[in-house]
Amino acid sequence: MAFPSRKAAVVGVYLTEQGRGLPRTAWSLELEAIKGALDDAGLRPDQVDGLIPMAYVTPLNLHMAWTEQLGGKPITYLDVGSGAGAVAKAAAAIDAGLCKVCVIYFGNANNGNGPGAQKRHDKAPRVDDWDYMVHGAYMSVWYAMWTRAYMHQFNVRQEDLAEYSVIARYHATLNPASIMGKRGEITVDDVMNSRPIADPLHLLECPLDNDGGYAIVVAAEDIARDCKKKPIWVLGGAEATYTDSYRTITSPWISNEGAAVRRVGEMAFENSGITHDEIDVAGLYDCFPVTVARDLEELGFCKLGEGADYIKAGHLRLGGKMPSNTDGGLLSHSHNGNPSGMHTIEVVKQLRGECGERQVPDAKIGLTLAQGWAVHGLAGVAIMAAD
Amino acid sequence: MSEPYLRPLPAKSPGTEPFWEAAAEHRLVIPKCNNCGDWNWIPYPGCRTCLSEDQVWTPASGYGTLMTWSIVSRGPPGFPSPYVTALVELDERPRSIVMLGNIVDTPHEDLKVGMRMQVVFEDIADEDISIWRFKAA
Repeated sequence: MAFPSRKAAVVGVYLTEQGRGLPRTAWSLELEAIKGALDDAGLRPDQVDGLIPMAYVTPLNLHMAWTEQLGGKPITYLDVGSGAGAVAKAAAAIDAGLCKVCVIYFGNANNGNGPGAQKRHDKAPRVDDWDYMVHGAYMSVWYAMWTRAYMHQFNVRQEDLAEYSVIARYHATLNPASIMGKRGEITVDDVMNSRPIADPLHLLECPLDNDGGYAIVVAAEDIARDCKKKPIWVLGGAEATYTDSYRTITSPWISNEGAAVRRVGEMAFENSGITHDEIDVAGLYDCFPVTVARDLEELGFCKLGEGADYIKAGHLRLGGKMPSNTDGGLLSHSHNGNPSGMHTIEVVKQLRGECGERQVPDAKIGLTLAQGWAVHGLAGVAIMAAD
Repeated sequence: MSEPYLRPLPAKSPGTEPFWEAAAEHRLVIPKCNNCGDWNWIPYPGCRTCLSEDQVWTPASGYGTLMTWSIVSRGPPGFPSPYVTALVELDERPRSIVMLGNIVDTPHEDLKVGMRMQVVFEDIADEDISIWRFKAA
């Protein structure tokens, strides 16, 4: 059975303020985001019948609590996952008649991922036996190890990867909502001379670690046609995982066979019927420069080991072959804990033509890749298009 | 008086006692499947290859090669600055075992991808546990 292309559309998106130390709760940010995204679509809360929270852990009682919050009408589609993968699954669920209006949402306040957000203890805290924090392997450390392995395996210069930080910052300067845009543009030298964090990574190669919320509304075709904004049709997509979360890897780490990202990319291009050359704008998960290089390789935009060259060639920059992360991405716009839906929101705005100074001219077809929970361990892709 | 050890420590969850008892004696044991013979790291209730629950904590060589590492300047509270976190691929086969851990007693400038490493254990002062580390073999 084919993926139901153009049977559902993203009809509403909303970002709350993104920033450090917001005087908010996660729930309040999520509620604002859900109301905002429904208002963006012109839909009412009582029309929602599908929920996909992007929370760190998503037990069913979380869906149940949000069902109560939204008024207590039966919610008939309950799912978990990552931003872009959730969009694809919502579209499939809508086509199967399981729901008509599905909300994908996340909010985070005062619960960062980085070392600065960890509590100081008077006695060594006890954690799961195989927990990565026993070895101080928080996320930047994992990606630092991946960066070193990648540079070694493919003889890649770190300066070439750092070009991504420069592009992301440039894009952020064109996005008034971004956290880092007001600091202005940076150079590769700025990146390489910034404070060492986890060698080989410097501060300007690491993501932000801030608060914020977002929501995405996916609706059935008949509803989508009557919404306030033009529908952004879901053409295809998929979601996959292949590993436990940050606790182990398989060897070789980087191989021709690929893993979760390779798989979802192949599935999404196949089930959407879209080819790589048709993608006008992209949102590529970008927690670190190496992540983007590997995204490009795993999705088939270039060969293994050529991701840094693709970045250096300027293809991702506004004006390039496939402008990507035009909001400034996770390095310069916002990394709000689980930002897996952020890339989809920016691509939807691009396809609607709402991006002002950073608008990609005539953007018709977009791809987003969500990733997270482990190094390329959980991934989702959505391919979307304007009419 | 030495600084108290304030980094997170394993809880020693039920079923892992043989691992921590061996660690206290500075021996590395890893679950090996009695049905298909494959190694499993990190430990899971079932073997990844054949899903058998018949796994035995079996002595491993404790030798392997350095896949990659990071010298961490910005660590969480309780960690020394800097510390080195690494991935070491042990010699055991067929299923490869990649262990995450900290490198000790090895000059940073000596670290090279593919270099020989060995597992050692650190007895944590004033705590009931010994943690595996890596050092140059």
